[in-house]
This record gives sequence, C-alpha cells and structure tokens, in this order.
Amino acid sequence: MEIPKELYYTQDHEWGSVEDGMMRVGITDYAQHELGDIVFVEFPEVGTVIAKGDPIGTVESVKAVSEVYAPVDGEIVEINEALADTPELVNQDCYGSAWMVVLKISDPSQVDALMDAQAYRAYVEAEAK
Amino acid sequence: MRTPLYHEHEKLNAKIVDFHGWEMPVWYTGIREEHLATRNSAGIFDASHMGEIWVSGKECVPFLERVLTRNIAAMPKHRVLYGFFLNERGGIIDDLTIYCVEPGERYMLCVNASNTPRDLDWMNVQNREGAVIEDRSPETSLIALQGPDAGGIMKAVLGLDLDTLKSFTFTILATRDYGDIMISKTGYTGAGGTEIFLPAAKASGLWSSLVEQGAAPCGLGARDTLRLEMGYPLHGNDIDETTTPLEAGLSFAVNLEKPSFIGREALKEQSSSGVSRRLRGLVLRDRGVPRQGCICVKGSEQVGVVTSGSVSPVLGTGIALAYLDKSVGEKDEVEVIVREKHLRASVTRPPFVRGTAHT
Repeated sequence: MEIPKELYYTQDHEWGSVEDGMMRVGITDYAQHELGDIVFVEFPEVGTVIAKGDPIGTVESVKAVSEVYAPVDGEIVEINEALADTPELVNQDCYGSAWMVVLKISDPSQVDALMDAQAYRAYVEAEAK
Repeated sequence: MRTPLYHEHEKLNAKIVDFHGWEMPVWYTGIREEHLATRNSAGIFDASHMGEIWVSGKECVPFLERVLTRNIAAMPKHRVLYGFFLNERGGIIDDLTIYCVEPGERYMLCVNASNTPRDLDWMNVQNREGAVIEDRSPETSLIALQGPDAGGIMKAVLGLDLDTLKSFTFTILATRDYGDIMISKTGYTGAGGTEIFLPAAKASGLWSSLVEQGAAPCGLGARDTLRLEMGYPLHGNDIDETTTPLEAGLSFAVNLEKPSFIGREALKEQSSSGVSRRLRGLVLRDRGVPRQGCICVKGSEQVGVVTSGSVSPVLGTGIALAYLDKSVGEKDEVEVIVREKHLRASVTRPPFVRGTAHT
C-alpha cells in the first residue's frame, strides 16, 4: 500500500497536498483498492464553499457508492474534469493524475490537525484488523 | 458459511464479502478485469454455495410436474432445463436448473444458495406424492468455467471435448483425480463454457488445475456484471415472490399447456388479461450508475423502478433491468433518477452485449 510521505491524510481516506494556501485533494491507495474498479466520479461546481467534512465528490465503483469529504474548510477552485471520461485513473494513479479537487484553504490551522503519512499508516493498519 | 474452495480464495488474496451468510470472493484482481477475461478468454467461478437437491423415487415425476413450470416427463436423459418454483399467485419462489439424470427416476435441481433452505421446506410441504427429496448441497461443489477458451482448458485438464456437448445438456464423467463429475453446458455469463458439479472434497484439486491452465479466478462481482450484461435475472433482485415469469419476460420457461402445476391458474389469468408491468433493459445515455431501487420517470409520471444496475464493462455505460409500466415500450425513452439527478435512458431488449452462449 502506497502512502507518500509528503501528503496529509484524513480518517475518511482522503489525501491533501498543500501549496500556496491551496489544497489538492484525492483519495488514497487504500481507498481506491477497497472500492475496486471506479466507474463514475462527480464533483460540485467550482466556486462552491464547503466546510471540513462536507462531501466534495462522489466516487462509484461497480459495487459501491462513496463520498469524498473535504479535509478542511475552503472554496472549490478547480475540479479534475478529466476524471469524468476516465474514472479508472483513480485506480491507476490516485496520488497523481487522479487528483479530484483543489480547495482554497480558509483556515490554515486545520491543516495541522490532519494525519501525516506515519499516523495514517498506523490508522489504516488498525482499521484493517 | 464457507465453500470447500474458501482456502483457494484466501491464497489468491480475494476480497471476501458476506453473501447471504456465505463468505464469498467478490473479486480477486478487479471486477472489470475478471469480467473481460471471461468474455475474451476464460474465467473460473466458485458457485459451490448454490444448492443441489436430488429428487428420486417412482413418484418423482408427478411431484416435479406439479411443483415445476416445465414439462419434466418429456425430458430426455442428460437434458437441462431452466424453470421455476411458483406460489399460488404465480410469484417466483425460486428460479433453478433441472437436470434429468435418469428419466422417470432421478433428477437434480440446482437452486439459489440463499433460497436452498426455503426451497427444501417448501418442497417437503408440497410432497404429497412421496418423492424422495435429498439435499446434497454440502457434499457437492460447483465450479463454473466460462468463456471462449473454456473448451481448450477442459480438453487439457479432463481430456473432454466440450464441443461434443450440446447447449443445455450434460454428461457424467468418472475421473481418477476428481471422482464422478457432472459437466453441464450451461452458465450464467453468456460467454459459453461449462458448469461442473463434483464432490466437495475434490473441488480444490480441480480448481487449481483449471487455474493452472489459464482460467482467471472471478468473483461474485464479475458474475453479477456478466449476467446483467446478458439480462439474466437474479432472484432477490429482479424476480421474487411478488413478480411472475410473465412480468419478467421469462414465459419461455413456463409451460402453460401442462394440465396442472402450482401457480398455473394465476399465470393463465395474467396471460389473458395482460401484464401491467414488464422487466426491461435500460441503457443510460447520460453518465452515471443506475442502482437497485432507482425510480424511472417519463415526464412527471413515475413509470417504474430499477431492480439491477451497474456499468457494463464491455459498453462502458450504465445499464439496468427495471420493471416498467406496460405503457412504456422498447425504444422508448425514460429517465432514471440517480441521487436526485434525472439521467436519460433508452428502453431496450437485453442482452446488452452479444453473448456466445448459444454457439
């Protein structure tokens, strides 16, 4: 299971990378693997203001529907349009080309409350038991 | 509950889910990959959770004639038929395959896993003829080998030429390694191939040999998308005790000419008055995944409900089976409501993709 060191993580298995007050968000390797083949993704419109824990996307596999939640408060400034045509990218490159949305962070202190790679690994291993 | 192949699934790192009390593999490598392996080469499925009920004795034919919708007396040796147990209202208690082992003497019924206990109870209650009813599910395994390459794999493992078997027939083979096995030219994928009944103790050995020859292990996930692409109904989703074979478009498996069987009167009546709804295929024209329970509308009017839905791995679009009002016909357009969004769908007659089962 791949858990890149430089990213932040949530208990709902989203990852976030922070740059210039923006957070790029996707789902983790663990999440894509648990869901199986992703066949559909959908995001709110750019400009939507959301609170931490609100849905910022829907991911559907053959067998399951799952929500993607905002790791922090913010405004959606970009969505990954390419995933509409190629949802399978989420299975192939979840930390790269299959990023989902970019949030403009409202409260930078919320970033510090997220898990780092080490904490997330321990969390996943505990959950898998 | 676990099938005799559970440890094979574990070895293959399958994702295991609960299926009506059975710990079954939902996928090994991925539903899409397994689905396409079955369509394009060969897939192998553990269906050992299915029930095998043997009916014998000199009163078995009158009994089976009364509880089943097919003409049992006319079945030649080693013929297979698809049919139903119905209730008095014509509702489907279970759908099953009927195997004529010895005409007039011995038959095997292969029933849905989750329905096996209920089927047995119901059969015993109905059995006023005194037929001998035996549940051989625990000692019987069922391995389905499906796909265009199934023939080559069977030849390599069992030395059997599948081409010599006609569709919906079976043969019994005495083998050194796997005991007496029943090889049936049937399936639930539309990809062609065979279903193999064998002693539970021999299942792991045959499974391993078939996998070694190139059959891709496939879980319940692919089994479901494959059957849905062909429009085959799943009991509990598309058909149940509240739906009849006529509504489900399965009248080919009901012989209304038979003088008497349970459910016949209700079906006769429905046949002459006409059905108010029909199970139909939907192909989505918008992106999205129709799911069981999604409402179908035409304009502002509700016209039906989805009973099975997914994305077709072959077509790449959403497909579904849905009961639609009789006013809606093939080639009509409806909308399926998926999470409050209205998605456009064309009404079609399944299969959604071309199968190879009858070649």
